[in-house]
Amino acid sequence: MKKLSLIFMTLVAALFAGQSIAGDWSKIRIATEGAYAPWNFTDSSGKLVGFELDLAADLCKRMNAQCEIVAQAWDGIIPALQAGKYDAIMAGMSITDKRKKVITFSRDYAATPARFVVSDKSPMANFKTGVEDMNLTVIDPKEKAAITDIVAEFKGKTIGVQTATTHENFLREYLGENVTIRTYDTQENLDLDLQAGRVDTALASMSYWVPLFESDKGKGMKMVGPGMTGGPFGSGVGVGIRQKDQDLADMFTKAINEAIADGTISKLAIKWFGFDASSKPS
Amino acid sequence: MDFSLLTFGDGGWADEMLRGALMTMAVAVCSYLFGIIVGILFASLKLSQFIVLRYVADFYTTVVRGIPELLVIYLVFFGGGALLRNIASGIFGYDGYIDPPLFVTGMVCIGLSAGAYITEVIRGAVLAVPKGQIEAAKAVGMSTGKRFWRILVPQVARYALPGLGNVWQLTLKETSLISVIGLVEIMRSAAVASGSTKEPFTFYLLAGILYLGLTSISNRGFLRAEAWASKGVRYS
Repeated sequence: MKKLSLIFMTLVAALFAGQSIAGDWSKIRIATEGAYAPWNFTDSSGKLVGFELDLAADLCKRMNAQCEIVAQAWDGIIPALQAGKYDAIMAGMSITDKRKKVITFSRDYAATPARFVVSDKSPMANFKTGVEDMNLTVIDPKEKAAITDIVAEFKGKTIGVQTATTHENFLREYLGENVTIRTYDTQENLDLDLQAGRVDTALASMSYWVPLFESDKGKGMKMVGPGMTGGPFGSGVGVGIRQKDQDLADMFTKAINEAIADGTISKLAIKWFGFDASSKPS
Repeated sequence: MDFSLLTFGDGGWADEMLRGALMTMAVAVCSYLFGIIVGILFASLKLSQFIVLRYVADFYTTVVRGIPELLVIYLVFFGGGALLRNIASGIFGYDGYIDPPLFVTGMVCIGLSAGAYITEVIRGAVLAVPKGQIEAAKAVGMSTGKRFWRILVPQVARYALPGLGNVWQLTLKETSLISVIGLVEIMRSAAVASGSTKEPFTFYLLAGILYLGLTSISNRGFLRAEAWASKGVRYS
């Protein structure tokens, strides 16, 4: 009877305690979605491949850790991290304030800039600003001039954007009063209207545009203006980690810094995205 | 639509989709059998003369039928693993990573929710057998076992089968929810294939066809079973 009640007490304690696995990171389990090309996807033989798979292998080597990759559907990818099914998420997950309330992140390893796209016959087809890339988190005078240029160039035009995205947030914040914003439920519908001339330009992530331009569907369109990151666009894509495992997040950050410094991430990004989507050294 | 995507082998996705269909079938059958066992158990509790047992069974069917299946899955999958690990480290001092096998987790989740519906189906079928027949069987001196096998079971089977067929179809479709725990069944295969090839229409259409195939084949089985169970009844 005593034994029984002991077991019962432990059960109850276990329910409320939350598990506690010591921070030995020689083995790390990393979850990915496996259905988000080219970040992480599955080839037709069933093997997980993609930018993040290559990157994970590289980072694990730098951390001297043995890594196991787990495929997990996007729904439930954060709850399963919390439940201890794996230790880290590398699944094209943007670092946002909302997610930061429940998990922590390593530094970002990739940030795909947002770009405007116009028809190549458009009068705006050669639009350029003084800077090629700008980070909106901290705006310097040159970037300020570029934003003024963008506002002047697109004044009175109609801009298409996918609804409920960071891109829409940017348009409302920076261009809201000077342009007409049209929102679309899918990016594909937006592409059709851009080709039909119903919108003058469209704003979306470069990791979407580049592969599109390589296929037939992207004929007659081109990217204009600077690549924009930071600010309303969030702080890039990072490794998602349980809040109590800050030490693991720091290990990833250190390994990512090394991989950015020696050009590994740029190389992998060019291989998978067709352009350098790597984060800048901090 | 690009049909080269639907070939077998390393170049196409047909083998992945088919494996997903087999997994769906395996989970559905195991969960259903588990659900029938659970259902018979709780139906007998519900019909018991002890009020406490009736309350226990009422609690189960009310809760499980009243909350979404997805929530049951989250509770069993996420809660179950954490509980198991805490027991392991609390009682046995084992600090490694343990997890109940995915298949068993999926089977328990879907089976528990199917079981709640099956409980009600069986309870209804038992109550549909006229009380007079049991009394008559008692009057001619049949033993409890004989009354159960000769009077109750054949009629309960007949009354319950249409309802059980319904629950089976629900179970088959509910298995699509367990893709959240990482078990690769039809929906997860379709999601992976469409995300990797950017051809969602092809693969979700195929998933729909596979579900329709599975449900219509099994539906025929249930119709046959119903005909067999009703062979002693004349509908005029």
